[in-house]
Amino acid sequence: MDKILRIDMGGADGPKMTIEPLGEYAGLGGRAMTSVIVAKEVHPLCHPLGGENKLVFAPGMLSGTAGAMTGRLSVGCKSPLTGGIKESNAGGQAAQVLARLGYAAIILEGKPADDDIRKIYINKDGVRIEVDNGLKLLDNYPLVARLRQEYGDKAAYMTIGSAGERKLLAASIACTDPELRPTRHCGRGGVGAVMGAKGVKAIILDDAGMKMRPPNDPEKYRDANRKFVQGLRKHPVTGEGLPAYGTNILTNILNEAGGYPTYNFKQGQFSGSVKISGEAMAELEIKRGGSATHGCHRGCVIQCSGIYNDKDGHYLTKQPEYETVWSHGGHCGIDDMDTIARLDFMDDNIGVDTIDMGVTIGLAMDAGIIPFGDCEGAIRLMEEVGKGTPLGRILGCGAELTGKVYGIERVPVVKSQALPAYDPRAVQGIGVTYATTPQGADHTAGYAIATNILKCGGDVDPLKPEGQVELSRNLQIATAAIDSTGMCLFIAFAIMDQPDTFQALLDMLNTFYGMNMTGDDVVALGKKVLSVERDFNKRAGFTAQHDRLPRYFSTEPVAPHNITFKVTDEELDQVFNWQEQE
Amino acid sequence: MQLEIRLFAGLKCNNPDLPCFGQYEFNLEVPDDITIRELRGILAINPETRLIVMVNHHCEREEWVLEDNDRVGIFPPIGGG
Repeated sequence: MDKILRIDMGGADGPKMTIEPLGEYAGLGGRAMTSVIVAKEVHPLCHPLGGENKLVFAPGMLSGTAGAMTGRLSVGCKSPLTGGIKESNAGGQAAQVLARLGYAAIILEGKPADDDIRKIYINKDGVRIEVDNGLKLLDNYPLVARLRQEYGDKAAYMTIGSAGERKLLAASIACTDPELRPTRHCGRGGVGAVMGAKGVKAIILDDAGMKMRPPNDPEKYRDANRKFVQGLRKHPVTGEGLPAYGTNILTNILNEAGGYPTYNFKQGQFSGSVKISGEAMAELEIKRGGSATHGCHRGCVIQCSGIYNDKDGHYLTKQPEYETVWSHGGHCGIDDMDTIARLDFMDDNIGVDTIDMGVTIGLAMDAGIIPFGDCEGAIRLMEEVGKGTPLGRILGCGAELTGKVYGIERVPVVKSQALPAYDPRAVQGIGVTYATTPQGADHTAGYAIATNILKCGGDVDPLKPEGQVELSRNLQIATAAIDSTGMCLFIAFAIMDQPDTFQALLDMLNTFYGMNMTGDDVVALGKKVLSVERDFNKRAGFTAQHDRLPRYFSTEPVAPHNITFKVTDEELDQVFNWQEQE
Repeated sequence: MQLEIRLFAGLKCNNPDLPCFGQYEFNLEVPDDITIRELRGILAINPETRLIVMVNHHCEREEWVLEDNDRVGIFPPIGGG
């Protein structure tokens, strides 16, 4: 991982590629790499779909090694959805393969002068860029099926569906899983629209003939990895709960905690929650011959995903994540698992973010376009997105735009990005993260649910404002660092509770790179990433007023706790307090 | 006093002397003023399993004293996102 592939899609004679040494970007990976490049090279006031924006792909620091859980791929750019900096990461095979091919980053820049569709093929011999207009407007599943005929079953595929080509603001970039299904998405912030604007339909990564990246000290790296895996297996969340039930295990506990946003955040509990819970879903998956335990990339030992078959036992989609089950389920008043699974497939196929898309359909219900709980209506609206009709284009541009078009007052977004599956009034720590993360409302940016509800890494009362700013700050710092390593964020459950597992992670980094990184250095890395992202957003026009939840969360209480968001604006402005000292 | 009890993520009542043995959603008559710790003993839940216990939608510690008609949700350690 000692080079960067830079492709100017706007070259006068077609795309112009250069392979560069890492230079000042040496030592960076994942989110640190994408955010530092975007902050340095992208004009903060540029149009996100214009030639000045850049789309950066970066495997994590440990991707492509024999280390467990190292398969996260970061994609960064100026977001067409938020207008700020964006890092969206996904699992799947792409990060491992890209890292083994030796690339620390791919940078797509410029804008093609034509409307041609291109694919980029990268293998050990180099890079090939070809026009293939036969791929136009193909969605992800048929697209990957077509590409497999040409490039085979050993490659990893990063693709956009029709939503990305149409530059919809909720468009995602799909990464294929080990079975070559386009199920793992860099979903948030419209990164797929930026790929569409660059005229790139697919990036095919083929690491045949390449080896795993060698550690600086192979024996010690192997030993550290072994201890790390042992730590993940012994922790009840990463060793039992997630493998058995997947992320949707959260439905019941968030509902029981009164923090499950229902009918567009009107109430904190959903009467149909048990029917769409992780327990019910796992039972159904097994009964239909699917699987409740599956890894999104090779080297995953948590295996939080699964395979969801239809009533006839045929593959329908991968196991829908908690966020998806919520956005298409409780948020929309839908308690039919097959409908939710169908919508999950459509999200993956069309190539849209399941959170913004589900929240948007709920808004459409709130606006009276279809009633809450209308399963067929929800599928019909998704079909509109796939067809690119005027209504579909509006919906595919996400919650904020749809809210404006239909005159809805209560639109759950921060920095134009839809809130995920936790009501910030009943779980106040996540409200701090939603409000302040440079990414726009994003639960993964500082997952306060862990400590507010799940009691990992301590216990902070979810209903009180006290302690939430410090909690979110620490989690945002830690997350920015983990997102740079290529590690799946779910390792956080184990490293927050088990100091020896955190030490094993440090040992993996140190023995791989020959460093002496300490816990303080991890904190410094996380702060650096956040500071770079905040600085970009400031130059893009963001102020403290953008670090706020929609006003109604502070004025309208939600049942069953009948509580509002109580963290003050002054407290929110203290989340990044180290920046005052810089 | 009576409690409305829901057990999740594979937990169930393990006490064969109770009518709710093997069940995960039931109402149960228990002595007044028992604590969460005493309730888990009554249900014969493995004492080594760390639990998250929601009483009326709020997580409480094991020494918390339960009241008549409380809704009690009991979870093993879980996570996701």
